[in-house]
This record gives sequence, C-alpha cells and structure tokens, in this order.
Amino acid sequence: MNRFWCLFFVASAVLAVVVFSIGPACGWWFPGVAASPLGQQIDDLFYLILAITGVTFIGVHAVLGYILWKFTGKDGKRADFQHGSHTLEVVWSIVPAGVLLFIALYQMDVWAAFRMKSRFDQEALANPIAEVTARQFEWRIRYPAPGKVLQDTPQPDDLYTVNDLHAPAGKPVVIKLRSEDVLHSFFLPHLRVKQDAVPGLVIPVWFEANEPKAYDLVCAELCGWGHYKMRGQLTAQPQADFDAYMQKLKETQFDDGFKEAAGE
Amino acid sequence: MRFSSLSIICLGGMSLALAGCGQPPEPLFAPSAKATVLVPAAQSLVSESLVENFGTPNKLVAWQQFPINYGSAEPTASDAGRHDEGWRLREGRNLYMVHCLHCHGVAGDGAGSTSRFLNPRPRDYRQGVFKFKSTAGGMKPSTADLHRTLVEGIPGTYMPSFVLLGQEQIGLLADYVKWLSIRGEFEEKLAGGMGKAGATSEELRKSYKDKRESDKSITYEAVENEILDDIRKELPETLTERAQDLTDDWLAGENPENATFPKAKRVLPDAASIARGRELFLSKDVKCSDCHGPTGRGDGPMTEQFIKITDSDRSYDTPGFRDFWGQPIVPRNLTRGVYRFGRRPIDLYRKVKNGIHGTPMPAISNRVTEEQIWDVVNFVMSLPFGGKESASPGEADRDDGEAKVAEAAGS
Repeated sequence: MNRFWCLFFVASAVLAVVVFSIGPACGWWFPGVAASPLGQQIDDLFYLILAITGVTFIGVHAVLGYILWKFTGKDGKRADFQHGSHTLEVVWSIVPAGVLLFIALYQMDVWAAFRMKSRFDQEALANPIAEVTARQFEWRIRYPAPGKVLQDTPQPDDLYTVNDLHAPAGKPVVIKLRSEDVLHSFFLPHLRVKQDAVPGLVIPVWFEANEPKAYDLVCAELCGWGHYKMRGQLTAQPQADFDAYMQKLKETQFDDGFKEAAGE
Repeated sequence: MRFSSLSIICLGGMSLALAGCGQPPEPLFAPSAKATVLVPAAQSLVSESLVENFGTPNKLVAWQQFPINYGSAEPTASDAGRHDEGWRLREGRNLYMVHCLHCHGVAGDGAGSTSRFLNPRPRDYRQGVFKFKSTAGGMKPSTADLHRTLVEGIPGTYMPSFVLLGQEQIGLLADYVKWLSIRGEFEEKLAGGMGKAGATSEELRKSYKDKRESDKSITYEAVENEILDDIRKELPETLTERAQDLTDDWLAGENPENATFPKAKRVLPDAASIARGRELFLSKDVKCSDCHGPTGRGDGPMTEQFIKITDSDRSYDTPGFRDFWGQPIVPRNLTRGVYRFGRRPIDLYRKVKNGIHGTPMPAISNRVTEEQIWDVVNFVMSLPFGGKESASPGEADRDDGEAKVAEAAGS
C-alpha cells in the first residue's frame, strides 16, 4: 500500500504519454488531415504546443514519481514544511513566462495570416465569392452574378442558395460573414477555419481548400434550440466546375417557367 | 443526523441516475379538436377507424388506396383497398421523428414541443391546406412542391432547408408528410361529419332537450343511440367516400396538367414594364396596394380592418388578417426581398396568378393578361431595389432593356 500512490501517479503519467504520442499517428486529434495550407500551419502550432507541454508533463511526473518512491513510508519521519523561497518563485515564474512569450511570438505569423486583412490574398479579398448569412438555423448564401463583384447590399442579379456553399478549390477565397439574428460561428473543421458571425458586423473570412471535394460546414456557437440543425456543406471544385455551377444557379433562379409549358 | 439524511439523498439520487427516467411514453397521434368535441362513443368510432386504416406512430398502416409510394409490395387493381405496411413509410416516419416532429408534432398538427416559441407557427397539415404549391386554388400540392419546400426551406420562417439530407431522404419525408396530411384530413372530415350529424356533446344535449318537450318519456341514451346508429349504419360508406375524395384530390394535385405555368415568356423587366406593373399594383382592378400598401411595405389600409371569425358572427378583437389556421398574418413586406415561396420569377408568377391558399391573398383577376401579370411580378421584384431595377439574370438582358427603353423614349 505504501507505494500505491507512487505507482498510481507514475502509471497515469505513462498512460497519458502513450496516448499523447499515438494520438497524432491515429488521427485522434483532428477531424482528418488539414485540408488547407493554413490548416497545416495551425496543426503544426498545435503539435509544437503539445510537444512543449508534453516535455514539461513528463519532467514533472518523473520528478514527482521519483520523490514519492524515494520518500514514501519512512517510519517516524514527517515531511518538512517550507515557506517562501524567493529564488524558486522567480524561477518558476520566469521559465513559464519565457515559454509563453516564445509561443506568443512564434504563432503571430499564422495568426496574422488568418486574421489580418493586409495579409489576405488581395485579389481574393477584392472579389469575395459570396456573402454567407447565418440565421437560426441555416446558412443563407448570396453570390454575385458571374463576372460581377459582390456588393454590400443585395443586387438584382445576385444568386442565392442555402446551406450549400460552393467555392473554387486550390486558391484562397474570401467570403463575407454576417449574422441575421444571434451569434453563430462559421466552422470548417477540415480547413481549420472558425470565425464567429456577429450581428451587425460583416467579417471577411478566407480559406483555401487543397482538394476539390465536399467539406463539412457547421455552426460552432450554441445559437439556440436548433443549433445542431445548422449543418452546411462546402463544395470545393475546380474553377471550371464552379463557373458551370454558377451558370446553372443563374438559369434556375431566373426560370420563368415558360419553356416547360412550351413542350405541352 | 445530518449525515444520514445526506447519505439518503445521495443514495436516492444515485439510484435514480442508475435507473434512468424509464421508458418515454409511447408516441400517440393526438386526436383533432373536431374529434374531441364528439360524444365518447362517436370519438371511439373515429379513433377505431383511424387505428384500423392508419395505425399508430409505432405501428403504421399503409392504406394502398392512397397515391403514396409506401414501398410495399406492388398493389394490383383488385386490392386497392389492401392494408399493408411499407418500408418507405416507416423510414419516412423515422426521419420525421428526428427532423420535423419537434415543431410539426407527432400527428403533423403543428403542435410539437418547440412550436410555441415560433412565429409564424409550424404548419398544421391535418386540414390538407398548403400554401406553397404550384397548383391553383384549393388544390393539393404535388409531391414535387413538398419536395421543393424541404429542399429550399422557407426563408423568413423557422422552416430550415433540408437540402443536405439528399434526394432520397427528402422523398421519404415528403411522402410521410403527405400521408400525415391525408390521415389528418380523413380524421377532420370524419369527425366533422359526425359533428354535423349531431354527435357532439353540445348538439346531443340540445336535441335531447327538444325531443323531451314533445315526449317526456324519452331518455338521453335513446337520443344518443338513435344518432349513433345512423352514423354506424353509414360508416362503411362514409369511410370509402372520404378515402376516395382524398385520393382524387391528391391525384389531381399530382397531375402535371394542374401545375400553373405562364402562357407567355417573362416580360423583359425594363423600366417601362416596372412602371406598368406599378400602375396595376395601385389600380382599382388589381388592388395589390390595399393590403401590401402603396410602397409595398405590407402596410395597406386593409391591415387595419377587424376580420370576422370563420363560422361565427363575431370579429377578432385586434385588427389585421388571420390565416386559415386562425393565426395573425401580415401582407408581405415586398421591399425586404425575402420570398417564402422562392425567388424565381415563376414562383412570384404563381403567387400573383393563383393567390396563396390558406391566406387572404387572392388570385388575380381573370381580366388581367399574362403580360400584365409579368409586369406586376417585375414591379414586385424591383421593390427591394427601390423600384429602379427588377431582379434579372444580368448585364446582357439589362442592356437590352435599357436599349429598348431608350428606343421607346426616342421614337
């Protein structure tokens, strides 16, 4: 029994280390491999932080285990109590502060690439592909007419869809994010993009899908009873397919029903 | 003492947690208001017939009579009245339970648990009245119409789009909604008929009173039995008739010939057409502005009226329109650019041409030509843009339009 707690703490630490190291290999951490260049950088940051905290964790638990093992159950001997060591306080304040400062500086580039408009792809920023308006409980999407630039207010030739966002793959694209009612969050888990939609704000969000395929689009902010219903889809496709899709959308939306009757 | 009571509470809580909250109650198709006013004997006639022909939520019955793809074995002409169970109906129910039930209710009565928070209220399918459809007047929607509502959702309401469920699941849902609507209307009509035959508690008391004046010896039971015997005698025939009516109605809705399509191409939405549309919108003949207001903001003078309650000589005590379900309804603000039925020109054409069933929106007068309807549509579609430009596919068309206007102005 004397050594029980010592073994317990060491075993749980060992288990944690095993899980942490096989996690990435089995893809437990993320919903799949990052599907965008920025997503890869975000994942790298995550693993860097995981490595730093992992090393700290192992070190702390090794020392803890060793001390427990060495000093457990010595008859008639009680632990000493110490209060106040200026040197120790300074050391364990400065070391973590240094680590945090390093992380803060190291990640700034990725943060800026994701959030700072001046770091966006300027061509994409000048030509947002769509305005995505979150509302309880769906994503309403407004595209500019093919060849036009998206305006802040609806235009007569705008094209509309719901929940089904299409975008060209393999290049950065920008959407303008709005909310009609409450806080929502535009979340593309595979692309590692997450941005709150705030009522009253129009927020540009950029992303780049590596491969032409369908990605999940979900709401990541509890927005009401139907939050779980806010499932959408991002379909990344080659530019030509995207153009064809927009053309088809245009034909459908301005259908006056007359041709169908002509067949009768 | 304190510890023992604490431990009892803890034990109690733990045993509750272990036991769970037990089985949820079995889902039921709640009876319609028309059935609950009947005398108990008549009520049980209605519910027995419903259980026999439609089953319960947990054990559905697919009545082959109706034009629904139940996914059961191919029915032959001889067994059109056959009862069966179909996998598509069951799958449709399962999907409905996941996605629709919490607003539209188990019986499709629009009384699900979230419905009370919603404005507008979720649709009650049981009267078989649908607003968003391609067919005219009181005709049933086609399956394609229900399908479209599920795919597009209804902007401006809480009805979301289910486009990502995919064609197959949406098809299952549309058929289940159709089935629920048929079931509900069957119940309403059956119970309503019995009510008219005098089987409500209220009517029965009245006729008992009347009869007692001439014959003191008559008992309440005798009067009740007399009425119920009549109903029972006619019941098989009534059931067949009701089912046949519903079949015919839904088949008519499904018939492609009954879908409304314009007989003329959309008039080019140029300034001239918008101006003509505006004239019509404000005119005495077409009268759009009476409700939608001169600027299309849905604030016309008629919205200040007190509306009479259906089947009653009283009016509602607040002004404003009511829909078929008795809910307050406002004429749409056309400047918002939110179109519940869809924003395609054909959608607006159908609304103007047919009106909207279940609402005070009437069909447009017969004297108005196809081109004039398109003018009205073009004007309505220009309202979100200050009446300057109408929604249209783009540059090429608009250039034509401007050229034409210039031409017209020049000549």
